[in-house]
Amino acid sequence: MKKIKVKENKIVIIVNPIFYSLEAIYSAAYIFIDRAYLLLNESPKNQVAINIKGKEKLTKKQLEDLAGEFCNELLNCALRDKISKNNQKIREQIITRALFSAEETSNEKINKKIEKEKWQKDTLGIALPWKEKYGKSAQKQR
Amino acid sequence: MTIKFSKKFYSLTAVKKSIKAYQSLAGFKITERKKTIEVLIENIDKDFKNVLVDEFSNYVLSEMKNAY
Repeated sequence: MKKIKVKENKIVIIVNPIFYSLEAIYSAAYIFIDRAYLLLNESPKNQVAINIKGKEKLTKKQLEDLAGEFCNELLNCALRDKISKNNQKIREQIITRALFSAEETSNEKINKKIEKEKWQKDTLGIALPWKEKYGKSAQKQR
Repeated sequence: MTIKFSKKFYSLTAVKKSIKAYQSLAGFKITERKKTIEVLIENIDKDFKNVLVDEFSNYVLSEMKNAY
């Protein structure tokens, strides 16, 4: 339902929250924030009254167009909201899988590094530098 | 000038944040009622007298969108 108040340069759109979630209303209002002044109010029967005031002086036709555009955007946002809620589980699963596989590759990298380092270890103690083994300091120690 | 923000759509935090952002341009006073948050705006900077109230309400709405 629309109420056009040309004198006040504003329109009031009354929306039923059963069809449009509050999140969709916020999103649509946010999109119009650079074109108009918006204020949300409570309306009788638990409905939402969206006050849209033009930033510049608008004619009746322009106000009607603005209201139409807002309603279209509201529908768009409501649909987006619905789709995002429907796909929430799938999105979460995709992210979990992506994170899990990323962790696997990092584990693999660590394992490879360990393997690479294993053969470099000097278990018999033969990789000592000559100075350390036969140098002056070593002789003194003897 | 008083603006009434319905508690159903606006939070006190968003209103307070907006007041903090606009406090250099006007004087604000908040009164919390059962269903509304009333904001009294006075001593508005003369350069912004025509737009401040509406811009303030838009700012509160944007704060709500960010918080949602």
